[in-house]
Amino acid sequence: MDNKKYNRCITLCTVMVMSMIMMVTNTACFGEEPAYSEADIETATLHVGDPEAFFYQMTDSFKTVMSTDTAIVFVVRGNADVTALGPVFTLTTGATIVPANGSIHDFSGGPVGYTVTSQDGKWTRRYTVSVIPTTHTVADTLYYNFEHYELETANQHYYTWHNLLPDGSLGNDWATANEGFRMSMGSARPMDYPTTPLLQGYEGSAVCLTTRDTGPFGRMANKRLAAGNMFLGTFDVRIAMSDHLHATRFGLPFASRPDHFTGYYTFEPGEFVQDFYGNPIVGRVDSADIYAVFYRNHDAAGNEIVLYGDNVLSSEQIVAVADLGYVEPTTQWKAWNAKFVYREEIDENLLANRGYSLAIVFSSSSAGGSFTGAIGSRLCVDKVCLICTKEE
Amino acid sequence: MLAAITAMGIQATVLDSLHVDIRLGYSLGGTLPTHIGHEIRGINNFDPGLNFTVSAEATLPLKNRWGIHTGLRYETGGMDVDSRVKNYDIEVVRGDESLSGMFVGNVRIKSTQRRISLPIQATYDLSESLRLRGGLFMGWLTHRRFWGWAYNGYLREGTPVGAKVEMGSEPGERGDFDFDSSMRIMQWGLDVGADWQFHSRWGLFVELTYGFSGLFKSDFHSVQPLRPMYGTIGLAYRIK
Repeated sequence: MDNKKYNRCITLCTVMVMSMIMMVTNTACFGEEPAYSEADIETATLHVGDPEAFFYQMTDSFKTVMSTDTAIVFVVRGNADVTALGPVFTLTTGATIVPANGSIHDFSGGPVGYTVTSQDGKWTRRYTVSVIPTTHTVADTLYYNFEHYELETANQHYYTWHNLLPDGSLGNDWATANEGFRMSMGSARPMDYPTTPLLQGYEGSAVCLTTRDTGPFGRMANKRLAAGNMFLGTFDVRIAMSDHLHATRFGLPFASRPDHFTGYYTFEPGEFVQDFYGNPIVGRVDSADIYAVFYRNHDAAGNEIVLYGDNVLSSEQIVAVADLGYVEPTTQWKAWNAKFVYREEIDENLLANRGYSLAIVFSSSSAGGSFTGAIGSRLCVDKVCLICTKEE
Repeated sequence: MLAAITAMGIQATVLDSLHVDIRLGYSLGGTLPTHIGHEIRGINNFDPGLNFTVSAEATLPLKNRWGIHTGLRYETGGMDVDSRVKNYDIEVVRGDESLSGMFVGNVRIKSTQRRISLPIQATYDLSESLRLRGGLFMGWLTHRRFWGWAYNGYLREGTPVGAKVEMGSEPGERGDFDFDSSMRIMQWGLDVGADWQFHSRWGLFVELTYGFSGLFKSDFHSVQPLRPMYGTIGLAYRIK
């Protein structure tokens, strides 16, 4: 009898354990691996017979394409033949491209369109590829008046700016960290972003940089503020969260010798400066940044160099800096004139071959890179003028 | 007066046959997804945690081997799961802000809960010492935490063709989330068990609990549906 009871109990326990195992295993079966949904061009390469005669710099033949970019631009020598070129792309896994990867096209009539479709067939992205022969008829003086801005085309969440090119078309030389701000404050309206237009600037529109609170996500990540910034270069949102100082890629190739740069600003520091942890720093007044850096854009080994948030003023690649230094608070438009102080002679051959880059940087909080500053600090900038030394 | 005496008499008879015991159990399982979608590509680590149950429970035998069973339980539950995901729809909400999109990488989810629950079960005696139980439970969470982070991967913001944002492994570089306030306070579900009275005072029990209500409120879609699901094994000491 006892034995029978014992057996029953064993049976019962086994049933219980079995059903538990069934419950757990039922949850632990992995379905078939889903197809990839992404449809990006990740890199683009132009292979040509004589690259030295075609490109200013060998590295110009290869482009890493940011996820937010849909216009791929190759700048080539003025006399380069662009009528039959077959750019080669690397795509996200499984994606396909039309027209075919490597197919030959004539780029002399303007950009060529490509469409990438994801492996699962559900998503597509359209790209344009331009190959632009460029000669160095750079004007002695470049004007940046911030009159050309628009809501970003993909989602219209924030403003982006264009510079006016000598031929009257619009360039994309100015970058901001607005896309990064969007990650933390998706609900913000365009005028609540760190970088916004100011309708009535010194002359026409100006650009306004405001140090903003990054809200609950910012607090969670100990990134409590976002300084308003604007710079010549690109913003790589891919690493805005994981490596924010490298997301700001300062500088674009520049083929003239900058001498000084001028402009007009207003600056009103925010009420109190807060540190990384959001604690007020008593007695400190926020400071803004207005400076320009001219640097060699390749290292000794021939690798392409851009400057980042952590070395834009300290890199050994730097050739000259024009720094306004202390940006005196003012509510009235105030003119500045900052001269480039050269640390070494310019190599004219390198200059002609786009071997130098120029970064102009504005920020509403100097220490914004370490998330220190005063929320509400506001730097407005207008009528920026870059004067280059006339070539003899 | 007569009615009252009669009622007391019945009550006394009922109380005579009532068994009461104190139970201590160890729970395995915790909070599990109802199914694992194909977005989950692998489990790096799963730790159900050290979860226990303390309860006072009473059984009232009625007739023909049948009876009813109830009690008051205090239970802890939780989990710590680290999984690899692909094309995982994720929405991170904090305050009024949200960030959503498709994530590829690793997701760590941690949860702890403390619950008071009230089971109501029918019992059936297989023999004098062996009893099966089955019924429903109601539970109230007295403590609820659900948090975690998406890490070592990337988010495509909004859709798979949105901006690509990489997430690292350190706080501030990864995508932290915290869904405490989206958890249900009340839970209910199915509860089946068995008791083996191997000694006049001591018994063993097993229990299987399956929540009908999800861990989260019905308007919450940030992570896949999860529900309380666990097995308990433990000792019972009869005090009456």
